Amino acid sequence: MVLNNKKQFYLLIAPAALVLLVMFVIPVIFILFSSFKDGGIANYQTFLLDPFYLGILWNTIKISLITTIVCLAVGYPVAYFLARSESKTKNILMIIILFPFLVSSVVRSYGWMVILGKKGLVNQFLLAIGVIDSPIKIMYTSTAVILGLVHLLLPYMIFSLAGIIQGIDSNLEYASESLGGSRLRTFFQILLPLSAPGILSGSILVFTLSMTSYVTPRLLGGANFLMIGTMVFQEISINFDWGMASAISYILLFFILIFLFLFNMLGSRINNRIGGTSHV
Amino acid sequence: MFDKRTGNFTKIVSICAIIFFMAPLVVIILASFSPTELVLFPPKGFSLKWYHNIFSSSVNFMSGLSNSLEVGILATLLDLLIAVPAALGLAKYKVRGAKKLETFFASPMYIPSITFSLVLLQLFAMMGRVPASLRIFAGHLIIIMPYIFRNTYSILTTYNWTLEEAAASLGASPRRTTFDITLPLVKAGIVSGAILSFLYSFDEAVLASMLNSPKFITLPVRIMNYMEYAFDPTLAAISTLLILFSLLIIILVEKVVGLNMFMK
Repeated sequence: MVLNNKKQFYLLIAPAALVLLVMFVIPVIFILFSSFKDGGIANYQTFLLDPFYLGILWNTIKISLITTIVCLAVGYPVAYFLARSESKTKNILMIIILFPFLVSSVVRSYGWMVILGKKGLVNQFLLAIGVIDSPIKIMYTSTAVILGLVHLLLPYMIFSLAGIIQGIDSNLEYASESLGGSRLRTFFQILLPLSAPGILSGSILVFTLSMTSYVTPRLLGGANFLMIGTMVFQEISINFDWGMASAISYILLFFILIFLFLFNMLGSRINNRIGGTSHV
Repeated sequence: MFDKRTGNFTKIVSICAIIFFMAPLVVIILASFSPTELVLFPPKGFSLKWYHNIFSSSVNFMSGLSNSLEVGILATLLDLLIAVPAALGLAKYKVRGAKKLETFFASPMYIPSITFSLVLLQLFAMMGRVPASLRIFAGHLIIIMPYIFRNTYSILTTYNWTLEEAAASLGASPRRTTFDITLPLVKAGIVSGAILSFLYSFDEAVLASMLNSPKFITLPVRIMNYMEYAFDPTLAAISTLLILFSLLIIILVEKVVGLNMFMK
């Protein structure tokens, strides 16, 4: 590179790089180190040994896993429809998936609160037709949180999958069926392995976003159904324990980074096997 | 011919997904016209009083809205000024280690907002008096930068740089080449990145909850706080307005750059 170009290059990237360094990278590292100081390391030990905190971590992982599996199970057929259909329904579907995507997560959680609440629509309906005698509790349970998270994150899964499925030649499916493979066998032996990169990248997105979610568990889970995100806020606003809150939030960060690292490796192995390029 | 591949099963699941996606939004819109405080279905009449309520001073939704707009617009504009040049530099001068720099500029995507909000909370506490508006602005500036950077960069990597040489050989200055040739051609990436960034900031509630002060609260946090002590259809009315706002943005994007921009 010529000297003049080099100068140009540095001038162009310098402002953004400086802002990121000063306001992001250095503070994150600095606060990490200060969270170890003055006996702060004990907070990390407490989290990793106390069954209460571990229970919340496990609860968060469990909810995130279920959300991911539901998104995958529902998202795959929808993504397949989006990728393969050429009807007009496809465009309507695309807009309908995209639209809630752009609506505030607070607003969407509120919608579920009106539907699922104690005097909500589901209970009104069930009481009216006489299936139940007293309102059933749906709000502030794992069901409500999972429902809210699936509504929030399903579009990510659908778009990750649709992109990959669109790239798979549908002639492969015709070939498999003309050679006597059933639709189910074609799905498991042709479609599923070839769409693995999309399954992986969609699942990673949905899983990490539910692990770090805050608004949905706060509004639909309430104070008694804690996930890591809401736990951190409780440490700050109820226990006033900044040290513990930082320890939990850094443990969450490490968890996410290790998870991303492992699945990136898995992703490149899958891509090597099917000979594609990396999408993860 | 491809329609043969989409069997009844995928169609039925897709229709269920449409209902599932739309259900809370439809319920909100219907609830906003409810005459009773408890939302009943079927509704027993029609009322606009909840919309009237939005503008009453006690709920402060309007100050929340102006705070959210202020932070969202300023953070997006400043990020455009710094992240678009960074994407331009990285794509144009294909330096060694470009891949690492790309990860660096996208790095705020990998940190949970919870973690970053605590980092900033403690950092600002050490710095002394920093107004809440500035604290939230700083947080949003960082977390939305990757969206502007990546959307611009992904278009620039497929951009035909010989166009710049052509313009230069015809006597255009480097400045003119950038502003008259390159930037207009990658407009779609910049616009979609800016819209995603703005909406992210406008909707963001984690940093905004952690870093706010009683004097400066953004709209999503205002709405969440309101839910904690009242659960009347005023919430449905403000939510309906926000849904319309998103709809307006979708129509605008479709007109300016086309909806395909969001599929990337």
